Amino acid sequence: MTDLSKIRNFSIIAHIDHGKSTLADRLLEECNAIDQRIRAEQMLDSMELEKERGITIKATAATLTYTADDGETYALNLIDTPGHVDFNYEVSRSLAACEGAILVVDASQGVEAQTLANTYLAIDAGLEVLPVINKIDLPSARPAEVKAEVEDIIGIPAEESPEISAKNGINIHSVLEMIVKDVPAPQGDREAPLQALIFDSQYDSYRGVIVYTRIKQGTVRPGQDIKMMATGATYKVVEVGTMSPNGLIARDALGAGEVGYITASIKTVADTQVGDTITTIENPASEPLPGYRPVQPMVFSGVYPADGSKYQDLREALEKLQLNDASMSFELESSIALGFGFRCGFLGLLHMEIIQERLEREYNLDLITTAPNVVYRITKTNGETMYVYTPLDYPDPMEIELAEEPFAKVNLIAPQEYVGNIMELAQQRRGEFKDMVYLDANRVEIHYEMPLNEIIYDFFDALKSRTRGYGSLDYELIGYRPSKLVKLDILLNGDIVDALSFILFADNAYPRARKICEKLKDNIPRAQFEIPVQAAIGGKIIARETIKALRKDVLAKCYGGDITRKKKLLEKQKEGKKRMRTFGTVAVPSEAFMAVLKLDEN
Amino acid sequence: MPILTKRLNKTPLGLYIHVPFCRSKCQYCDFYSLACKDDRLMDGYLDAVCAHIKEAGALAPGYKVDTIYFGGGTPSFYGADGIATILSTIRRNFDVDVNAEITLECNPDSVTDRMLGRLKAEGVNRISLGIQTDDDELLKKLGRPHTYAQAVSAYQRIRKAGFKNVSVDLMYGLPGQTLRTWTETLDHVLRLLPEHISCYGLKVEEGTPLYTYKDDANLPDDDLQADMYLAAVDLLRSRGYRHYEISNFARKGLYSRHNMKYWTGGEYLGFGPSASSDFAGKRFILSRDLQSYISGIRDGGEVMEDVQEIPLRERAGEYLMLRLRTYYGIAPDEYERKFLLPFDPLREVLAKYRALGYVGINDDGRWNLTAKGYLISNTILSELLIAQDNSLPLNRFC
Repeated sequence: MTDLSKIRNFSIIAHIDHGKSTLADRLLEECNAIDQRIRAEQMLDSMELEKERGITIKATAATLTYTADDGETYALNLIDTPGHVDFNYEVSRSLAACEGAILVVDASQGVEAQTLANTYLAIDAGLEVLPVINKIDLPSARPAEVKAEVEDIIGIPAEESPEISAKNGINIHSVLEMIVKDVPAPQGDREAPLQALIFDSQYDSYRGVIVYTRIKQGTVRPGQDIKMMATGATYKVVEVGTMSPNGLIARDALGAGEVGYITASIKTVADTQVGDTITTIENPASEPLPGYRPVQPMVFSGVYPADGSKYQDLREALEKLQLNDASMSFELESSIALGFGFRCGFLGLLHMEIIQERLEREYNLDLITTAPNVVYRITKTNGETMYVYTPLDYPDPMEIELAEEPFAKVNLIAPQEYVGNIMELAQQRRGEFKDMVYLDANRVEIHYEMPLNEIIYDFFDALKSRTRGYGSLDYELIGYRPSKLVKLDILLNGDIVDALSFILFADNAYPRARKICEKLKDNIPRAQFEIPVQAAIGGKIIARETIKALRKDVLAKCYGGDITRKKKLLEKQKEGKKRMRTFGTVAVPSEAFMAVLKLDEN
Repeated sequence: MPILTKRLNKTPLGLYIHVPFCRSKCQYCDFYSLACKDDRLMDGYLDAVCAHIKEAGALAPGYKVDTIYFGGGTPSFYGADGIATILSTIRRNFDVDVNAEITLECNPDSVTDRMLGRLKAEGVNRISLGIQTDDDELLKKLGRPHTYAQAVSAYQRIRKAGFKNVSVDLMYGLPGQTLRTWTETLDHVLRLLPEHISCYGLKVEEGTPLYTYKDDANLPDDDLQADMYLAAVDLLRSRGYRHYEISNFARKGLYSRHNMKYWTGGEYLGFGPSASSDFAGKRFILSRDLQSYISGIRDGGEVMEDVQEIPLRERAGEYLMLRLRTYYGIAPDEYERKFLLPFDPLREVLAKYRALGYVGINDDGRWNLTAKGYLISNTILSELLIAQDNSLPLNRFC
């Protein structure tokens, strides 16, 4: 075990694209932690998707061995945090495993909403926050101003902050020295009862779940009987050790202050909830570490195989994904239109998109995903309270006494010239203005309270487009509030397609119904007959479009013998047709289900 | 009679010669051609094509050429001398059938009596004349360098020169065209009594001048184009033309034998830039650039692009795609014999569309598309291709 005074536990926080993962890579390199043979860009982001999207989805960690200018050798535990608002809770647990956080700020972009949100999380967790100004070599860099911004807005000293370029390896050494000097060494009693914080876990088909943990008190060794204090699950420790980017390194024990892993033949990540405390059965801690919260999906959508016969494959894929992601839930659901599928719960829309993409890529499934919805709370006339996870379960309006929807507190940051645009957007989305703060001469932070439902659709995209990409967003749930809700049904050729139904705020029903009918008209290919597209509330038609009959779909030119072109065209058409579901006599491409969500006009 | 047997066994072959020169580029055209009369380039082209023909002729001893087609571009603009040189090169290097169909595309502005006489003497026996429309204003708008009166006079010269097999090209779906003006155009052209008429729906191709102003061009929509097409089919049939391919109509027996090869899986070899070939199991296209074609032939470099060997399974798809363009359509026994795939899955799709009037059965008991069916042939074909993809081979040899 490493002496407490020689350990530094830190994480890196940043807005998306400000260079967090790149800096992590440079730190690993500087400590020669990455085996040259297996080096790839951004070692810590190991999922393919993470690399593509440039964001960190799962937290990971690595121990770096660093010999500092003072001649001492330190164990630096870097805990990489997820970088999206959907994963706020996971971020908070990762931060709770650290004593310090490096705040990466882009030298030209400055402080953004997410930077602020994560910084406050870090400060709340009692961490020493150390700013680093990145991308210093860009022509648009304005380090002095950005430092002043950090001091003004966040209120932490930045005068001495290293000015670096993670991309080009400039000044990385000074960051390491800062970590040794300014991140407090961990404290803890290695003889005390065990309190180990779970900040992540990952399923491995050979070892079972690998639990990533920060030992707060006591010591854990192979052979000990352990217990997860929140879930109550008990296991016998098989192995403990530390993480390096090249793999796991087994150790005899992990003691207070250290960051490492535990394996114990654990079958499911559901037993190793992020934020839970591990203790021993023999000498248990009197209470768990603070801050645990069971994960709660906030957004639900129906996930169906495009090919109905692939239902079993989808179930198996979801089961496998869940081994690694306890924050996703799924339950059997059946729709008249789509047959058997699953109602899946996600932390947010990004999480939903990630799961979908993984299902499609890693499990080679073609999916139809229905419009995501939040969880509504309905009090029925008979006094019963129910939570509605799917439009399929929405009760008859006659039975509803009170309908409520979840609200969120939203923080928006943007240059002041976009305030007008933001306010207009927020108002359209039923936002209730709270206050507005000037962060500096140019930028403002605006607070709203807004229905979660309005945020999960394309709010972030709309915000980006109305602020030319400068706006940033962060939100947190604040509870349920009464609302006027209706269920909107869509009819194709006279028949309700239940998978297209959704719940929305009554005042938005007319304009939205019109837009959805238009969208469907554009997305559903013409058939040999006319197809009416209608939107209805409780049987009353409130919008209608007509898809005209298909009269012409022919490539007449096929002369001079150039057949290849026509073949390619037909091939494309054929593939498109394969991706369609037939409802009655109407073929609907799977894209149509998602297209109806993107209704923002700008 | 071993010699006779050998001759009978030769495989028929079509030759296509792409002549990439025009007086001017039409607004809608995306065929490869150059609007110029550059003697050096034209000579370079002639040398390259003739050299290429020699090269290819040596590789095709087992073939008998029964159709030759000069397309473009505007072969008549290129002139009779060059065409004559190419034709005699073909005759020296290929075994050309005495009854071969030899077609040349002409534009009304470049047809002269002298040229026609020369072509006739060289063995050209079919002329395809690009008239497109009888509306002079529209011709001008489309960038065509002639009037309708010029087209009629060119047609009469062609007749006077003794050509007995003449085709005219017309277009519908043109800017500002109405159902009435289109049927009037057909009426006028029918008075000329051509043996063959092609009616092409205008397709706005990316990269053409028309594409840049298509939204302001007052183009008939799909529904009107469909009505125009059906009107043409009705009218031409009532005048005794057989609707033997989506866009083509002919007096009995006078269909384009060369084009028919494209739709029935016959073999053909192309010469000149951008020409396509389907020869000895391979499909390929020649370089779409005259300079690189010329230098490629001259220096023995690569002129073939996109060479594809087509597996049997894919040929089965082509069979549907191409045969169903024609009146002759597809037949269950022929299909199963050729590709060892079951016809039943296709029959299911065909029967469904037959009930709706899109598919028919011709006099020989073969499945084909009706006029209404041709109009949505891509829809029907993609469904047939899916059915084909999902079918397992017939295991008659196991």
